[in-house]
Amino acid sequence: MKRYHDIVGDGGSRVLEQVVEQRARITDGLAGVRHLVAIGSGKGGVGKSTLTFHLASALRARGLRIAILDADFNGPSQARMGGIQDAVFVPGSTKVALPRTTNGIGMFSMGSLIPESEALAFESAARGESHTWRATREFALLGEILASFDWGTLDLLIFDLPPGAERTVQYADYLEPRTSFLLVTIPSEVARGVVARSVAALSKGPHRILGYVENMSGYYCHDCGAIKPLFTSPDGSRLEIPCLGSVPFDPELARQCDVGAPLPELPETPVGRAFAHIAQQLLDRLESTAEPSR
Amino acid sequence: MKFLCVPCDTPMKLQTVAPPERGSLSIVYSCPECGYEMAMLTNAYETQVVQSLGVRIGPAEASAETSKSGCPFAGMIPGEDGRPRASEPGPVRWTAAAEARLANIPEFVRPMAKTGIERFARENGAIEVDEKILDQAREFFGM
Repeated sequence: MKRYHDIVGDGGSRVLEQVVEQRARITDGLAGVRHLVAIGSGKGGVGKSTLTFHLASALRARGLRIAILDADFNGPSQARMGGIQDAVFVPGSTKVALPRTTNGIGMFSMGSLIPESEALAFESAARGESHTWRATREFALLGEILASFDWGTLDLLIFDLPPGAERTVQYADYLEPRTSFLLVTIPSEVARGVVARSVAALSKGPHRILGYVENMSGYYCHDCGAIKPLFTSPDGSRLEIPCLGSVPFDPELARQCDVGAPLPELPETPVGRAFAHIAQQLLDRLESTAEPSR
Repeated sequence: MKFLCVPCDTPMKLQTVAPPERGSLSIVYSCPECGYEMAMLTNAYETQVVQSLGVRIGPAEASAETSKSGCPFAGMIPGEDGRPRASEPGPVRWTAAAEARLANIPEFVRPMAKTGIERFARENGAIEVDEKILDQAREFFGM
């Protein structure tokens, strides 16, 4: 009797064939992207999205061609920060044109499609059992976005990942092996412990970990210009991977994120300089091996 | 998943996919050698798991019947069904070429794209969306 692998094709259901076709469309669509960088953590609330946006702005200010894919479909925030909540999606000849922020960052965020008063919902045949299929559905959506939007020629496509150590690994499994990871933590033992687990999990796969950024590394006071401590743990964020820099919390940058007013240039403050430094470190790391981003 | 006709030792072929009924798909396979037919009846969870892959079961003509909209993301965006909002004026026409471009984009973006482009057209004094309007919109929005 024939076994599974003796039979060519699937008799016409085309399920596997369609999955393979979509992967090919994704690879084709990303052919013009030099570096794929996923920004994650594993820990929620460490400022992945704001750091993603300001880092992208810092890279953009250098004249690089940058796009952000807000992969946090359930809690998208890039559309608000980038001021594209009312973006118009324009169909091109075969793909959808990518909305742009006023500082020229290409951006896809579900926040442009779903009002903040509503949650992402999928039609389902299996009511009340979303834990069995929801993640699969979200990754199919990610594939559809990657395959359908016109990413064009980019220096960097940055993925803003959702929280959750397991989600970080799932994205690593889904994204091309040439995707590099940058992790975000804060000066706290609690955060460090969770991010260390993400490092351990990612290290088992083929993806390159560029390093980590310590976010909320103090509080920048605009009145006195001093950086004051936010956390008391002196070595709280130390991880066994390269540190690309530390960023103090800046209430002014947080306000700009809230109102969706991207800055064309980084401010001449310690925080602005921190982002410029991290941008340089990131580029150095990406270019530092013969096999960039793998 | 593959099906084998054991007496003939021959892979069975998909014949028909019936529209979902209460979450269940009825997929008929037959043996090209002896003509024996069998049906795979999925439960709602099995149907949902396959649909979550973003694929449609069966050949294109059959798959259109398995989903009333043909869209794997149908119903994903509440309240965005592509119909004009009550506060908006009458419909804007689309040329065949512009409509073809709209059809190329994913259905989960299409209602928003349609609404936004029609608003852009009205604001620019047009009552018809053609490829020129689409190109103007692309330029206007800095894409």
